[in-house]
Amino acid sequence: MLDAGRHPNIELLTYSEVVRVEGECGNFTVTVRKNSRFVDEKCCVGCDECAKVCPVIVPNLFDLGMGARKAIYTPFPQASPRTYAIDRDACLNKTILVCENCARACKAKCIDFDMPAKEEQFHVGAIVVATGFDEYDPRGLTNYGYARHENTLTGLEFERILNASGPSGGRLVRPADMKTPKTISFVQCVGSRSVGERGYPYCSYFCCMNTIKNSLLAKVHEPDIEKIYIFYNDIRAFGKGYEELYLRAKEDKDVIFYKGKPAKIEEDPKTKDLWIYIENTDTKVVEKIRSDMVILSSAGVPAEGTVKLARILGVELDQSGFFKQRDPTSFLESTKDGIYLCGSAAGLKDITDSVALGSAAALKVSEHLKGQRVKREEEKIVPIETDGQPRIGVFVCHCGINIAGVVDVASVEEYAKSLPGVVHVSRELFTCSDGTQRLLQEKIKEHNLNRVVVAACTPRTHEPIFQETCRLAGLNPYLFEMANIRDQCSWVHAAEPEAATLKAKDLVRMAVARAYRLEPLETRQVPMDSKIIVIGGGIAGISAALDLAIKGEKVTLIEKSDQLGGRVKELAGLLNSELTGKELIKNKLEELKKRKAKIITQAKIKEVKGFVGNFEVTIEKSPSEKGKKAKREMLKAGAIILAVGSDLYVPKDKFGYGKFPNVLTNMELEELLAKKTQELKISGKKPQHVAFIQCVGSREKEGNQYCSRYCCQVAIKQAIELAKQGIHVTVFYRDIRTFDKGAEEAYREARGLGVVFLKYDEDSPPEVIGKDKATEIKLTQLLSKTEFDLPVDAVVLSVAMVPKEEDFAELQSLFKIPRGLDGFFLERHSKLGPVETNTSGIFISGCAHSPKGIADSIFSAQGAAGKACILTSKDHINLEPVVCQVVDKELCRACGICVKICEFNGPQLVDRGDGVLVCEINEALCKGCGTCAAYCPTGAIGARHFTDEQIDVMVDSLLVWDK
Amino acid sequence: MAKKGALVIGGGVAGIQAALDLADSDFQVYLVERSSTLGGRMAQIDKTFPSMDCAI
Repeated sequence: MLDAGRHPNIELLTYSEVVRVEGECGNFTVTVRKNSRFVDEKCCVGCDECAKVCPVIVPNLFDLGMGARKAIYTPFPQASPRTYAIDRDACLNKTILVCENCARACKAKCIDFDMPAKEEQFHVGAIVVATGFDEYDPRGLTNYGYARHENTLTGLEFERILNASGPSGGRLVRPADMKTPKTISFVQCVGSRSVGERGYPYCSYFCCMNTIKNSLLAKVHEPDIEKIYIFYNDIRAFGKGYEELYLRAKEDKDVIFYKGKPAKIEEDPKTKDLWIYIENTDTKVVEKIRSDMVILSSAGVPAEGTVKLARILGVELDQSGFFKQRDPTSFLESTKDGIYLCGSAAGLKDITDSVALGSAAALKVSEHLKGQRVKREEEKIVPIETDGQPRIGVFVCHCGINIAGVVDVASVEEYAKSLPGVVHVSRELFTCSDGTQRLLQEKIKEHNLNRVVVAACTPRTHEPIFQETCRLAGLNPYLFEMANIRDQCSWVHAAEPEAATLKAKDLVRMAVARAYRLEPLETRQVPMDSKIIVIGGGIAGISAALDLAIKGEKVTLIEKSDQLGGRVKELAGLLNSELTGKELIKNKLEELKKRKAKIITQAKIKEVKGFVGNFEVTIEKSPSEKGKKAKREMLKAGAIILAVGSDLYVPKDKFGYGKFPNVLTNMELEELLAKKTQELKISGKKPQHVAFIQCVGSREKEGNQYCSRYCCQVAIKQAIELAKQGIHVTVFYRDIRTFDKGAEEAYREARGLGVVFLKYDEDSPPEVIGKDKATEIKLTQLLSKTEFDLPVDAVVLSVAMVPKEEDFAELQSLFKIPRGLDGFFLERHSKLGPVETNTSGIFISGCAHSPKGIADSIFSAQGAAGKACILTSKDHINLEPVVCQVVDKELCRACGICVKICEFNGPQLVDRGDGVLVCEINEALCKGCGTCAAYCPTGAIGARHFTDEQIDVMVDSLLVWDK
Repeated sequence: MAKKGALVIGGGVAGIQAALDLADSDFQVYLVERSSTLGGRMAQIDKTFPSMDCAI
């Protein structure tokens, strides 16, 4: 957020609306109305003096009306930009009263009550629509009593209650009496998966996981919570790592997952407690459950103003009111050229997918901006003199109540003042906020600080932000140090505030001691090769290569087998699309060939050398004729995209697979359907009764814990096709996960066609019975003790997607990228870096990252392609200077331990010229992990920025406790 | 009249990501946001699943 606020190439137009769009793709003229804030953005520093004197208090809409703000305000402390705004509807100056308290209090004189709204025109090549969603208002569902019952909140309102900058300061309390609840109930699918006046037909994608997260979080906030009920239809934990989080919540004995939707909720007028009436779908008994608080997991609905914006843009909307996609396999294209959709604009998405879609949209837009790069002159930053005595500034963060609720931050501040070298200490509510960042820069200059310590949260997410702030102030970013007094003090020692405070002081003392000895480091530049290699020729690889080729990038697509198209080319049909898988692949490949992308099939990766910007990939091509030798070729590239796909689980000896000829996998059924003969024949005849068994090889207790994401939606597509052929279909499932656009509607269509859905328990799966073929399925539902015997002529197993064990292991060692516990390749950050890996220059997409459907694979590939071209658009790259180096060649005995243990191929033994081998470390490959430095028996290797001296002094200062 | 570039409508997490990626590729971006601040829905939530990182 802060990055976008201060990027030199981004002009931020807040409080603004698009009012007119003229022209066409490549050449739009956009008129934007900048509504007046009545506060000059250029001079407001966000000091809050104006709000302190403002006499008007109104509900804060950012807190959904639960908190309060003044008429002159900023919605939340970390807002970016930090500029205040006057709510003219609430301001007294609009009335006959003349107040102007704020104008008098503002020292910078930025308040102008006569500031007019302005219109401005911009010429742009393309447009991204990322207008998000609003929360469904559940007042219409009168049986739930929202807005009448004081202790009933929506999901988003509950988020604000949990938030440290929210209306209760992060204390989990119920609105009626500000007491901490003992029982909380979440009601899922409020306004989602509903018909008629009860809401919207689709699944809202994120609410199951949001509720699971909040149930766990609520217990962290208030360990005394006795019970958390989650009333659900199906738990939809389909993303990477989601099923695992669901299992964590299920293991918690205080979190109760209760299948069913409450019929009504009543309020006890005296206690304001809530009574939930619900029929237990397992036992068919109506139960009455008391709860201190009810959270309605409200649907996401199209953002306010979507209709108006669609008219201005000249694009169409779909039936639900979201922006219409031109093609069901791509979330990006709107119905008009040059206008792209991302995030929840085309239908609801979660954060991870929104981020990947944002990168993918950027790629599509850049196709229309050829030759429009802006070159900026380096900003002039006056460097701070860092020689001489260290002058350390310490900034202690409250993080709202996240830290200050436990740690006595005032005493930490006082303590820091006593430490050697410290010349300035201050405390901030949120050190990461835009305003505080500016304050930090001012303080650096004012006190001539040449070292900065921030005692706040984790350096993993926040160190780069503070380093950039130091850089802008003229201070070398490596003269910055962080003490993590949130994770390591207030979080883990929440029950022992005094000890947490003592530990915070220890950490600050250690950070200051290290800061004292920090040295400035300079980044080094290496040239960047502009070519990109895509490995894997399935739908993800083809999509990435195609979009790169359209953009004009030099791209090479490498496929191991002799055919492109992967699994998708075998598919008989795609959900909500007229195309078959084969046609989809054919269309894309024709385009790709037209664009002259280089395609190499039957090639294996043999060796990978180099680093970001300078990779050298050696491939081996299978000989075209027998007897000939395999040919090797070396390809150079600046970036590499891995799109190697996944395998399908082989259900060996499960549910009669391999034993009975009429038990087949969903992919085998798809191949039969793809033949498009008059009617489906299994084992030579048309089946009358077909049963699907879901989650075969997925969501296992032992084995693959994850959900394979694609299989419910595929089963429903297949079930519809069979039902239309007059076949009786029964689907045995655990949770139906139809979360994609149009999928819930397809689920409803299937039920309308007579497809029967039977839920089975993990501990009592259906049994396939027969002699020489499957003839019957037996199912016992444990809770209701109901038994089913179903005659069948064919059984379809919806199998998991699994890692390609052999290929993945090979690629892992070639590319040095880690894999997760599930065996798939690991992304850099589950939310903020879904298509990047920990090795810079190497990107991950499609099913090699986690099981995905077709549209998901395509946008993850486009996201990865987008990220790759950001790199290759530059002619050089800056290398991180925090690396290991041979500090003393004389000490090196060329033992080679460093070469053996390095995960990244950094150290090599080289001849120093006289026949004597010594170690040399390639700084571009080194990740600075320090393992070699720790192992080096002679001390010849040292880690920059983590020198022995810097570490020693931290340990020493930890042991010296003088208070 | 300003130079050419791209327009991004919406300053939530998706819009910010699109804007940053375009800006990092040296294109001019105009990021239009209806409210007074960036961040959108993600700024309203507390922690994110499954890693429980701070949403801001």
